[in-house]
Amino acid sequence: MSRSKTIGVALSSVLLGAGVLSLMGFGLASAQPHQPALTATPTGTRGHVALTISVYPDSQIGGNRGTGGAHPDWVSYSNDNLVVPANSVVDMTVKQYDTGGELNNSVFGNVFGTVGNTMNVNGKEVSSWDPTSIGHTFTLRGISGDGTRLMVSVPIPFDTNKGAENNGGGVEIAPMIVKFSFKTGGKGVYQWNCEFPCGGSRQGQFGEAMSTYGYMSGTLTVK
Amino acid sequence: MTNQNDNKKHHRDIFIVWALLTVIGVLVGLYATPWLMPKSASHTMSMGILTMVIFTVAAAPVAALVYAVCLYALTIWRHRGEGVPADGPAIRGNGPATVLWLVGSTVLTLFLLIWGLGLLGSDQSAGAKASIEAANGGSAEITVDVTAQQWLWSFSYPGTHVKSLDLYLPVNKDVEFNVTSKDVVHGFWIVQMGIKVNANPGVITTTSVTPDKIGTYTIRCTEICGLDHAFMMTKVHVVSEADFQKWLASQPTRI
Amino acid sequence: MTTTLEHLTPVGADPAGGGLHRRLNFFTALIFGGLSAFIAWALSHHFLNSDGSGFSDQVTVLASIGWVLGFELGIGALTPIGRWIIGKDQVRDDELYLAGKNMGVRRHWKYCTDHKVVGVQYIVVTAILLGAGGILAMGIRTNLMTPGLHFVNQQVYNSFLSVHGMVMILALIVAVAGPWANFVVPIMVGARDMAFPRLNALSLWTLVAAIPLLLGSLAIGGLDMGWVTQAPISEQTGVGFDLFAMAIVTFTISTTVAGINTICTVMTMRTKGMNLERLPIFVWASVVAAALGLYAFPFFLVVMSLNLADRMVGTSFFVASQGGTGWLQENLFWLMGHPEVYVILIPAVGALMEITTVFARKPLFSYRTALGSMVSLAGLSALVWAHHMFTTGWAPSLGGPFMVTTEMISIPTGLMFLVILGTLWRGNIWMRLPMYWVFGFLFNFIIGGVTGIYLSDIPVDNQMHGTMFVVAHFHYVFVGSVLFGAIGALCFWYPKVTGRFLDERLGKLSFWLVFVGVQVTFLSMFVSGLRGMSRRYSSYEMIFEHTNLISTMGAYTIMAGMLVLLGAVITSWTGGEPSGPNPWKSKTLEWLVPTPVPLENFEVLPVITSDPYTYGEAQ
Repeated sequence: MSRSKTIGVALSSVLLGAGVLSLMGFGLASAQPHQPALTATPTGTRGHVALTISVYPDSQIGGNRGTGGAHPDWVSYSNDNLVVPANSVVDMTVKQYDTGGELNNSVFGNVFGTVGNTMNVNGKEVSSWDPTSIGHTFTLRGISGDGTRLMVSVPIPFDTNKGAENNGGGVEIAPMIVKFSFKTGGKGVYQWNCEFPCGGSRQGQFGEAMSTYGYMSGTLTVK
Repeated sequence: MTNQNDNKKHHRDIFIVWALLTVIGVLVGLYATPWLMPKSASHTMSMGILTMVIFTVAAAPVAALVYAVCLYALTIWRHRGEGVPADGPAIRGNGPATVLWLVGSTVLTLFLLIWGLGLLGSDQSAGAKASIEAANGGSAEITVDVTAQQWLWSFSYPGTHVKSLDLYLPVNKDVEFNVTSKDVVHGFWIVQMGIKVNANPGVITTTSVTPDKIGTYTIRCTEICGLDHAFMMTKVHVVSEADFQKWLASQPTRI
Repeated sequence: MTTTLEHLTPVGADPAGGGLHRRLNFFTALIFGGLSAFIAWALSHHFLNSDGSGFSDQVTVLASIGWVLGFELGIGALTPIGRWIIGKDQVRDDELYLAGKNMGVRRHWKYCTDHKVVGVQYIVVTAILLGAGGILAMGIRTNLMTPGLHFVNQQVYNSFLSVHGMVMILALIVAVAGPWANFVVPIMVGARDMAFPRLNALSLWTLVAAIPLLLGSLAIGGLDMGWVTQAPISEQTGVGFDLFAMAIVTFTISTTVAGINTICTVMTMRTKGMNLERLPIFVWASVVAAALGLYAFPFFLVVMSLNLADRMVGTSFFVASQGGTGWLQENLFWLMGHPEVYVILIPAVGALMEITTVFARKPLFSYRTALGSMVSLAGLSALVWAHHMFTTGWAPSLGGPFMVTTEMISIPTGLMFLVILGTLWRGNIWMRLPMYWVFGFLFNFIIGGVTGIYLSDIPVDNQMHGTMFVVAHFHYVFVGSVLFGAIGALCFWYPKVTGRFLDERLGKLSFWLVFVGVQVTFLSMFVSGLRGMSRRYSSYEMIFEHTNLISTMGAYTIMAGMLVLLGAVITSWTGGEPSGPNPWKSKTLEWLVPTPVPLENFEVLPVITSDPYTYGEAQ
């Protein structure tokens, strides 16, 4: 093969291949469920931002962006891609519409890592909750670029009086309102999920919604 | 083509290249290896780093031999004309070379084995543990129950009321970890202390270490455990005995 | 002997015979397979209990079985047996049709029993597998270019790495053994075809049937547990695992059939005078690897079946909460997993040994050592599996014994180096394209092998297990050593298959890109691991940023090199420089037959009087 033909084949192979790969890459990146970010909004207080999310018994009302995703009958948080600023206090509100049960690890009935190590449930300030009446948890962890560790875990109770009424299905009913605050450190991507497994699988119930992207776990990006 | 002088020349030249490459390899082993590894926070880790150094130094002459012969083949023995080269000497084998190679590799393997088995034995024997504690001025060991679940670690200290998502350890005290999992298999690894054991559901596995330096170190999960395996990490704080007791006392009673 | 270049069997008069086979080819196989899969899916969906927890697994598995059976029917794999059952066994004309007589290129799209056609088909399948695995690798490295999941989310990433691992393992199992144990080995032993030609075609098409299952797992949710599919997470994950497991079951059938074929061919069909000590070393390598595969792969079948049973019908082999244990899964898996890497390695080393004798113009240095090292490597490999389980906490007291057996494996591996170096010693090194890959192998395999010794030492393994250090180690062995052997074999035997040289310049460019890329990617990965980065991480802490970026750049370089190689293979097939039947002046039998190799290889079966390594000896 002549020298120019050699160069031609080499270049076209690489460019063609790179082109096909880039196309696949773009297609993949845009087709997947990287959910739109929910950015915390500044409150009146200096250095504080507010973030409100909800957790639903299925994905049909508001869960998984309200479209239900591939599994509309799975439990789901309303938002999975949270964005907060660095070095600030995040005032978080979680609205809980689901029922619950007993935790598989009672340690998550305690509040960890929040300001004052407490949470506010429907107006009452507590530092733990009965592990047999928990709906979900909001457990956040990670290590930032500058090595600071973030660890927040809050049990999200369910209202034992409400019972079956709490299984939504199109009607908004009064949720349990849980509020807590935590401090963010340096920039990074942290990860949160619910530590009350209720998915399929005989071993630990961590299948289905618990281990599929976009339902019961997500990221918290500190910018 | 068989020429005694030629052979001697090959041996000598290859030996020189081999010696040079071995020196480079040994230097890499002695200096690059510890530089690239995390700073040690336990005797176990220090011995692990030392083992890496020794293995690299031992491997250097082996790699050097292969590379030296390759370099020689690529330069001195390379056929430089056009077309098919003439046949080379019909060397079907060389008894002494084969025996030497076999014996050499066996000796090297035995050496590495003896070192490794010895280290393994000393890590695991209670007697050795006791002597390490004594040398570090430590005394009785403490136990920590580690529970892994998707995707974080929780700790409790049997004998105390403390249940926590943070791990605090006193320096120079042997600590035994009882590790289990609530769901799938996770890998409990304290990076700077060189210990690692899997967390399996339904069983308890143990590992132990004596941290010998105050500081903050990292725990990472090493068995893929689903969606957020990459985020299953936390820190371990090694503090003085006094600070440790203070921390224990400051922990609220948790449900 | 023809002077014009005819690398295809001339298309003459329409061949006689064939019957049903005339209408069957790859496309009918796809259609039949798809139809059967759909029917199986619909039937099971309708009749099985949809409330059962194993329902979706049962449906998926049954649909997969439908696909495989339909595919085999559609390609004609079951026709010979069917005809034998109904008493209308195939006649000579049918067999010649099956062997592709006078059919030209289209016989490559059909169930063809000619071992040379199967060899070429395996080249294409290997390229597809390597391509798919390579695309996934690019996905992995692109995501790891920066921390923070900027390319894909965790679930997609975990699926990528699991399927990448399995696809590449499959690709490497067949990379040398598939094309060359099929194309070259029968000719090397002086036979007209393999012992069981129809089984030969069956093994290829079964492998083809397995590929959509494996890649399909990505489309239905993926799997988040690595290719080792450890229980209990494999019990928890979605239906992607079922397709994965069925792909493995299908593959096991393919490899078992192929292994039996290889061994029987070599043991029973050698020509007169070809006694066992005159066999080329590549033949021995193929036999040893096939035998080891026959031992190892049934474990894979067993562990996948048990896993599927747990998921489909609620058994609890691996479910700890109901009395099982994940350790059983790990043991069964690694009983397969460790011998399997030697099934991958040994044919590549055998091919490289062949190449070295030809391009150093010297006999193989110590034939018996070469043979002995392969056999002892295979034998020892069955005794080392639990070194993958040092940190599981399963049996701490067995740590010592497994450390001993694993470190002992370094001895036969070292002897393989001795054989190749001894063959190079004082040779006239002819630096043509295949030889480049030999030297690349020697450079990389030392690094890969030595880092394996590190990992065999338990105190070191306690630090390094599950980190990127392990990943770099096995990539040095798989990519740096086995893949180099496979590409070397391709460059070496390419003129035999096509009658043309693989373009030297493109080949050398590809070599340098891949070689440099391997060093950059995986040396940097060693550093990531030494510094403490765990493996199978979709994102990582900032301290690992630089080494990961470097690894990604290296990976792109490897990709460029492989693309150049692909371009070279494709353009040289019809446009390369003609080579003649024996361009390397080799002495093994396959080079002494014309190119293109005639249908039944030899006009007259040769009588052998010496081994093929008589370089430098008086004739």
